Amino acid sequence: MLGGVFHAAVLFLVAAGLQLVFGVQRILNLACGSFYALGAYTGVSAVGWALGAGLPAPLFVLVLLAAGVALAAIGPPIERLLRTIYDRDEAFQLLLTFALVLMLEDVIRFVWGTAPVQLGGVYLVYGQARIASTTVPVYNLVVIAAGALIALGMGWFLARSRFGRIVRATAENREMAEALGVDMSRVYVRVFTLGVGLGTVGGALVIPATAAMNEMGIELIVEAFAVVVIGGLGSMRGAAAGALIVGVLKGVAIATWPEVEMLAIYVIVIAVLVLRPAGLFARATA
Amino acid sequence: MARALGLAAVTALVAAPWILPPYHLTLLLPALGYSIALLGLNLLFGTTGLLSFGHALFVALGAYTAAVMTTHLGIKAFELVLAAAAGVAAVVAVPVGLLCVRYVKIYFGMLTLAFGMLFYSFLYKFYTLTGGDEGIRVGRPTLLGQAFEDLDKVAFLTGPFYYYALGLLGLAALGMHRIVTSPFGLCLRAVRENPDKAGSLAVGVRSYRLAAFVVAAVFGAVGGTLLAVPTGLADPLLAYWTHSGNLVFMLLLGGFEHFLGPLVGAVVFIFLQDQVMSLTPYWRFVFGVILAVVVIFFPRGLMGLLAPRARAA
Amino acid sequence: MTLLEAVDVRKRYGNVVALDGVTLAVAAGEFVSIIGPNGAGKTTLVNLLSGQSAPSSGAVRFKGRDVGGVGPVRLARLGMARAFQLVHVFPALTVGETIAVAVVSRLGRGRRWLAALAHDRAVWEEVAEVAEIFGLGGALGRPARTLPQGDKKLLDVASAFALRPELILLDEPTSGVSTADKHAIMEVLVGAARRVGVKAIVQVEHDMDIVFGYSDRIVALQQGRVLADGPPASILADESVLAAVVGRPPAGAGRVR
Repeated sequence: MLGGVFHAAVLFLVAAGLQLVFGVQRILNLACGSFYALGAYTGVSAVGWALGAGLPAPLFVLVLLAAGVALAAIGPPIERLLRTIYDRDEAFQLLLTFALVLMLEDVIRFVWGTAPVQLGGVYLVYGQARIASTTVPVYNLVVIAAGALIALGMGWFLARSRFGRIVRATAENREMAEALGVDMSRVYVRVFTLGVGLGTVGGALVIPATAAMNEMGIELIVEAFAVVVIGGLGSMRGAAAGALIVGVLKGVAIATWPEVEMLAIYVIVIAVLVLRPAGLFARATA
Repeated sequence: MARALGLAAVTALVAAPWILPPYHLTLLLPALGYSIALLGLNLLFGTTGLLSFGHALFVALGAYTAAVMTTHLGIKAFELVLAAAAGVAAVVAVPVGLLCVRYVKIYFGMLTLAFGMLFYSFLYKFYTLTGGDEGIRVGRPTLLGQAFEDLDKVAFLTGPFYYYALGLLGLAALGMHRIVTSPFGLCLRAVRENPDKAGSLAVGVRSYRLAAFVVAAVFGAVGGTLLAVPTGLADPLLAYWTHSGNLVFMLLLGGFEHFLGPLVGAVVFIFLQDQVMSLTPYWRFVFGVILAVVVIFFPRGLMGLLAPRARAA
Repeated sequence: MTLLEAVDVRKRYGNVVALDGVTLAVAAGEFVSIIGPNGAGKTTLVNLLSGQSAPSSGAVRFKGRDVGGVGPVRLARLGMARAFQLVHVFPALTVGETIAVAVVSRLGRGRRWLAALAHDRAVWEEVAEVAEIFGLGGALGRPARTLPQGDKKLLDVASAFALRPELILLDEPTSGVSTADKHAIMEVLVGAARRVGVKAIVQVEHDMDIVFGYSDRIVALQQGRVLADGPPASILADESVLAAVVGRPPAGAGRVR
């Protein structure tokens, strides 16, 4: 159950990045799973290097966060590439992000090889906590808290900050925002970079609990899709709710009936589509 | 121009067994299977305007039908395998299509991707039924009642099976050509160009989309059976979403606006993959770059370069 | 004979009442214009009449059948066609193919998925005939997107006429067309209606020249209600209606057809 919430927290970060980019740029980014994988691998290397340089082990989570945030720097050049096709049919935009998936997968293979990479020894550095009758690594709770904090922070940021208002206005009505003098190309760069950052941070945070594998990105993207379909494309609250549903469902399924793990998620996805086609938290305009 | 190119393609394919070494012929075999699957995908994308990111579902369905029939049921007649694959694909495509065609554009793509992955996880997890990640072996089929027992595997594949597959591709291409040039095909194009206007002209948009979806699925499954025989295996990765992505990649590479695009895309993709893989283990990166270049600079694909204005569909 | 009627039709969007009890009838042989200031409910009414949306209460009947919200496809099969306010064409299809879509759909040929359309003489003869009526006979092979705006509008309407409907609903048939072309288009429309066998035309129109020049009857809407319903002469005679709906007397008032 709590394992599910842990997974949900990470899933939320990736899905939130997907939603943000889709909401503003109308591009469904298949590569957001690859950013997640890249974040995971970079996290392993960064923590390994930091510990080797004598960093006290309990500070590793800060290194992971920093690695995830720093990796967002790949956002602007990738956005530059996508910019060439903003005026094209969505099919081409989707395919270009698929091209990114292919490229990033081999970048990871090139840098880190094909064998799974693990971050040994830090997962339990904060010890275990007893909740009800189960023990949970405290690190899981830290990540859940971080996910919740980022969710709240995003909510505040979108609702209150100047840039957040611009982002929402652009998502509602691109022409209107442009007519009001918003510099679209700058908004796009920042939003895309933020979207990348959410994915890479998500990947970096997950890594103490699991091994980094070549396939983790293309596997996660499918779950992230399930999240946004359930929650409603373009909705932040939907991403949070969808991530919780998918994460918990997955946790429960793995514990009780592993065969149906992904099947159960898709049954929910299809049920949502049949009953509430726009998703549970869709914006009225979507 | 288009006719001359088509004729050249047919001649080259018929003559291939006398010209190409067996190794290259075994590369051509999957290209033939992919061509048929892509003809279907292109009816959906090029003609009807719906981009499926789950076409691999039906390719896998065809391959698994062939596997179950030849290995578990002992039915070797390839004609029966094809008929069963087409039937199974249509039966699956109707409910899946009914759900998917309620959406267009990106939502359609996402939903088809989700269904493809649903099937993948079924294949992967239900070990007793599907063999899990090991898949199911595909036995050597009989072609038109002939077992060709005196031929070894390579001779069978590059001889009778090659021509059988080629003949099937010919039939599929003829059939698809009729479909896109029929009144039905015209209505599909109208739906692609402007669904609201099509609806106001009494064209039932969703039924046409559904019909295209089912036809595409049947072509996908038939292509899938052809893919499974040379490899001798049906495995879950056939249904994985990146396989669907590769199908779209091939189509775009060949050119979705041209009737020959699927064939060109499949052949070039397979041979290019073979070449690049022999040069570097990082062939995906190279292919990602190729796809990006095609998307950004040559969205009309190779056929768009060769025959700039011949729009068949 | 009444072809199309709306009986005490109301339409609410949330708390907004767009139509508040509209009753009107269109008989065979009539050319009816619906006029009114912006926000009077014209678009809502057209959407209801064309089966695009269902009324909140009341009934819309076409040839005696309840057609509230049945959608454009069913209505087109029953014999009512609609042309949109904004030009709707199939950009990549040729003029001939665009009209052929309507012909194919009217003849129920759309399910023939292995037949050769190119050799279907019945379809192409009819396409040629309709194109000829609308003066598009010379452009059959041109992709719709390459046509000038006025011809696109004609093509849009021509394809609706090719359904050979009994009644045709035109949403601002001359919007986006230069004043000089407006009368030409209307002449083509009225002539085409006669030749194709359209029994009645209902149009929403802003241009009072067109409204008073071609209508047999005018329905004036204001704030979701019918303010006046009568022949052009009686509308012109009523100063209060003119002031409310038109704002000024039309320049071409009294023009005789």
